[in-house]
Amino acid sequence: MPPASFSCSPEENEVLEIDGISKVFRGRQALHPLTLEIKKGEIFGLLGHNGAGKSTTFGITLGHVRPDTGEVRVAGHSVQKDRARALHRVGAIFETPAFHGYLSGWRNLEMLVTLTAKPDPVRMRAMIDLVGLTKRINDPVSVYSHGMRQRLALAQALLPDPEFIILDEPSEGLDPEGIQEMRNLILRLRDEHGLTVLLSSHLLSEVEQICSRIAILNQGKMVFCGSWKDSPPSQARWILEVDDWAHATPVLTALGCTVVSEGEIGAPSSGDISDLVRALVQAQVSVRRVEPIKWSLENFYLEHTRE
Amino acid sequence: MTLFALQLRSEFIKLFSRKRTYIGFGVFVAIELALISLLNMDVVQRSLQRVISRSGYAAEEYLSGLTLALLVLVWSVFLLASLYLALVSGDLVSKEVEDGTMRMILCRPISRLRILVIKALAGFAYTIILVVFIAVTALGAGLIYGGAGGLFVFVPTEGLFALYDFNTGLTRYAWAIPCLALSLTTISALGFFFSCMNIKPAAATIMTLSVFLVDMIMKNIPYFEDIRGWFLTTKMNAWLGMFEYQIPWESMVADYTVLMAINASLLVIAWAIFELRDFKS
Repeated sequence: MPPASFSCSPEENEVLEIDGISKVFRGRQALHPLTLEIKKGEIFGLLGHNGAGKSTTFGITLGHVRPDTGEVRVAGHSVQKDRARALHRVGAIFETPAFHGYLSGWRNLEMLVTLTAKPDPVRMRAMIDLVGLTKRINDPVSVYSHGMRQRLALAQALLPDPEFIILDEPSEGLDPEGIQEMRNLILRLRDEHGLTVLLSSHLLSEVEQICSRIAILNQGKMVFCGSWKDSPPSQARWILEVDDWAHATPVLTALGCTVVSEGEIGAPSSGDISDLVRALVQAQVSVRRVEPIKWSLENFYLEHTRE
Repeated sequence: MTLFALQLRSEFIKLFSRKRTYIGFGVFVAIELALISLLNMDVVQRSLQRVISRSGYAAEEYLSGLTLALLVLVWSVFLLASLYLALVSGDLVSKEVEDGTMRMILCRPISRLRILVIKALAGFAYTIILVVFIAVTALGAGLIYGGAGGLFVFVPTEGLFALYDFNTGLTRYAWAIPCLALSLTTISALGFFFSCMNIKPAAATIMTLSVFLVDMIMKNIPYFEDIRGWFLTTKMNAWLGMFEYQIPWESMVADYTVLMAINASLLVIAWAIFELRDFKS
């Protein structure tokens, strides 16, 4: 089991430093002390089930939520002590993007920009082009699809010329083409503009493709932080179908295997699967199917969040 | 334009792009026309003439557009304007929180105090605009129906009875409007205060109206006669002092000082509540 306060520090030019933040909501520990650092140019994935503490982490990072302990520093400035300076070059899409539906996309963007700077129409047009909303930017937001709102939210996040961007479920509600475009855009922002990205997503295949490191939150605790690819499982996963699990289980256990469920086992990576099949057959167990399970972020995630 | 002016402009665009902002304006025009039509009925005219004649004045001279406009204001503005001010001010913060747009705003490095200052200013500006609109349209409609003439002031609940020629009456009417707007800022401050709490916009509006109506009802209960002067709605009636022969400057200043102190207290508490809130869906 991981410790209650899991630390995750790459120890080089950090853009974001989350230092021991915790939060209790109405007597429930929404977030246990969390320490996390994200270095410049990194795309970092924050994963977890609904209610795992991701939104609380984002909320504290953006100053929407006050932590009970700890603080968050962006580029060395404390969000809790000097929010204006800390978030000066931070862009964010936090939870479902909401706009004033009765106003145009352009007007909404202009209003959000005006909160911190005088609007620059040239830059606004450039960002609108970048997210592909040029043709519809003068329509009222009420007629926008979810995907269009998501693009508008991304445009507002990019407008302050951020160095660090927080994307909460950026691909949520997008069609497959939109998901691919969003993925390519995030990669472009990192590669061409040097942006550091903290994102959360339930689309693990997306996270797998773009994130260099991840953190997994489970019931408010960080249960993993780092490069999941560098953390191979101690046991390889196999799909196994047999006729009699009652007879098969002791054989498998004797060979050092773990029965994950009736149909899935973990076998020592060093072992040979043919030895295992032979042992089962010799014990009068009929083996109908043996198939390796590809090691993916999904398996990795589920393994870390399984009750 | 400075950044603050741009932010204020954005708040006005938001406010005046919403249909519900205009409900008050539309309803008041309809109410004014209905009241003035009623006041022009023979039965009502005779009743008004009796009151003026009994005091030894020529009734025809004082049953004018100015008198009709003031009657419309006295009868309708407190209850109806309060309703619309509560509706708009109760929405200012809580609607943005409910819609999720507040989270978008708070993603930017703008201080919560600045957000509130901008919203409060927009709310107070709306109060002034609504009151000026009501007063001007009431006067316009009154003059169309009743023509120019003296001003007859008769508000028995406040012990107010006065008659002025057209010019003096118009001057008093004009001076009373900013005072009325100032009185009604307390409703907006109340609405804004509730809007900053963690409640729905409709609840903020209902709470505002509840405070106002309870105050008004209690003020009229005979048991509270001795403390009537301390009720919110008594203080808010200070604008009627502009129609007394001797304008009671001292008591008006005292009443408005109390109202402004209440407004300031409400805004400071609202800020403290808003500043300490966690914004989470």
